[in-house]
Amino acid sequence: MNKIDTFFNKLKAANRTAFIPFISIGDPDIEASFEIAKTLINNGADMIELGFPFSDPMADGKVIQKSYERALKNIISMQDAFDFIKRLKAYRDIPVIFFTYYNPVFVLGHKFANGARNAGVDGVLIVDLPPEESDEFTKYIKKKDIYQIFLLAPTTDIDRMRYILSYAKGFVYYVSVTGVTGARETLSAAIRSKVKEIKKISDIPVGIGFGISTKEQVKEISEYADAVIIGSKIIQFIENNINDKSRILKEIAEFSFNIRSSLS
Amino acid sequence: MKLPDNMGHFGAYGGRYISETLMPAIIELEEFYKKIRKDNSFKKEFNYYLKNYVGRPSPLFYAKRLSDIYKSEIYLKREDLNHTGAHKINNTIGQALLAVKMGKKRIIAETGAGQHGVATATVCALFDLECEIFMGKKDVERQEQNVFRMELLGAHVNPVESGSQTLKDAMNEALRDWIANVKNTYYMIGTVAGPHPYPQIVRDFQSVIGKEILKQIKKLPDIMIACVGGGSNAMGMFYPFIKYDKVKMYGVEAGGLGIKTGMHAASISGGRPGVLHGNKTYLLQDEFGRIKNAHSIAAGLDYPGVGPEHSHFADKKRIIFDSVTDEEAVSAFQMLCKLEGIIPALESAHAIAYLEKIKREIKGKSVIINLSGRGDKDMHTVSDYILSK
Ligand SMILES: Cc1ncc(COP(=O)(O)O)c(C=O)c1O
Repeated sequence: MNKIDTFFNKLKAANRTAFIPFISIGDPDIEASFEIAKTLINNGADMIELGFPFSDPMADGKVIQKSYERALKNIISMQDAFDFIKRLKAYRDIPVIFFTYYNPVFVLGHKFANGARNAGVDGVLIVDLPPEESDEFTKYIKKKDIYQIFLLAPTTDIDRMRYILSYAKGFVYYVSVTGVTGARETLSAAIRSKVKEIKKISDIPVGIGFGISTKEQVKEISEYADAVIIGSKIIQFIENNINDKSRILKEIAEFSFNIRSSLS
Repeated sequence: MKLPDNMGHFGAYGGRYISETLMPAIIELEEFYKKIRKDNSFKKEFNYYLKNYVGRPSPLFYAKRLSDIYKSEIYLKREDLNHTGAHKINNTIGQALLAVKMGKKRIIAETGAGQHGVATATVCALFDLECEIFMGKKDVERQEQNVFRMELLGAHVNPVESGSQTLKDAMNEALRDWIANVKNTYYMIGTVAGPHPYPQIVRDFQSVIGKEILKQIKKLPDIMIACVGGGSNAMGMFYPFIKYDKVKMYGVEAGGLGIKTGMHAASISGGRPGVLHGNKTYLLQDEFGRIKNAHSIAAGLDYPGVGPEHSHFADKKRIIFDSVTDEEAVSAFQMLCKLEGIIPALESAHAIAYLEKIKREIKGKSVIINLSGRGDKDMHTVSDYILSK
């Protein structure tokens, strides 16, 4: 059984909503990002989403773009990313979602899937790989016990929702804004009803991400969803304190702890 | 076999690699286009604007002095004579009509040199559409005059400061804008690339080039040559001739400082298959699948990818891809000025420059070159280049 499934089963039994932080591997550098990941885990992260820095992050807002640009200066290879994940898993064995654009995966093909499996990756979220084009990747991860995590958006209609949910495994990622990543102050009222629609079609866990940044938003989401994903808001702490690593860790620890406490 | 297939694949290439947020809009566009493509009143309207606004058909000019030098029969398809000075307007007229029919009032587009941006701003003025252009900050600085032209035409130009601040980053930013404003916005892509159905849409609208040539010639040419950035002027000319096996086709990519230097924009001659901007195609990339910056003296060729249909025909060897350097392109630019009294765009000069590379092969043969645009925009670039030599 994939670790994501076991994990959500446990959460469900405990009636708990998961906190899934997102950071980029290598921002501001490999060691510092490893410390950040540990800090997140020690302050309430239930699962972690790790981004592989890409030159052309078309679905990302300014904060994650800059995070990737900082990380790219450190020339992070796919092997570096796998080593990072292996070490993190040895530190604490929580589910790891690998976030990437398709090209870095495509150029490696089967080698990507083997490396990811060895590192302990449980799910791969490829933001520019819709189900229509996913056959090739499905072949790579076949028999590897890795899930492709699919996304639903506010623009996805009910027929297409059914279609995507027929592919979805582990959990489905509901993109909470019509837009790119980046912290927003408010939460669209439509999310609750969308999640209801999803739940009518499938009993797969639903995670909400894009634009989440406050305790209030998180509290509300915990009423109807199974996981909340926060990226830009956390990465902003890195950008704000780029020359002060201890401060980055301190602020991320506080934020993470607060978020976890606001979740049921 | 008909290309693309139902999923937008050209053999191993093409497809739709985009965020879920955009998928419904892309599917809507595909379905709308499928219907309107065969619609006679749409065709009529498109042809009306091509004739009365763009000034088509463009002449197929027999270049006598050039022919004498190469001992062959060389014709130039004069896309440089179109309104706004390049083939780009054929596509933007078609897509603007499409946007109007779809009820979209806001247009976004990416641009490198500014040629597609100007062609987009032009049709937005013509059809009363709001126009947002995304252009790399470096290109904004390099192409001041085109920025001013776009603004005169009523467009708003957004300088893009992320990444390498050039065309690929402008396209990223246009996609980000589209993700945020997808409900009321039409994304007007400038070449035969991007997610399906764009490569097909742009090919269809640009095919007017090749279709006119078919009417203008008495016999099939032996050889056709076009420059390839994204590949829209090339596909526009080649596509109606693809079925004639004996017509040999050359796509000329931008060799920049030379393929070996790594400073070039030759995605097929010097790149590998990958996925970017919604399609699978040949790309300039490093070993980790990150996209490399392109380099060319011709801003319109300065892109690290190419349309997926070209990738397919490259593998099938139906179109032969090769490159010429900045230096060779500038020489050809000067040659055409002096020999024929035509100042070509630096992009088009790449196609002219290829004559020299195949001068043995073309002896006694007939050749058609797509003169995709005029060189007014390149005066600064060429004079700086010549002075620096
Ligand atoms: C005159 C001219 N030719 C060629 C190109 C390259 O584009 P494509 O390969 O799509 O024709 C451009 C792009 O701006 C251009 O302005």
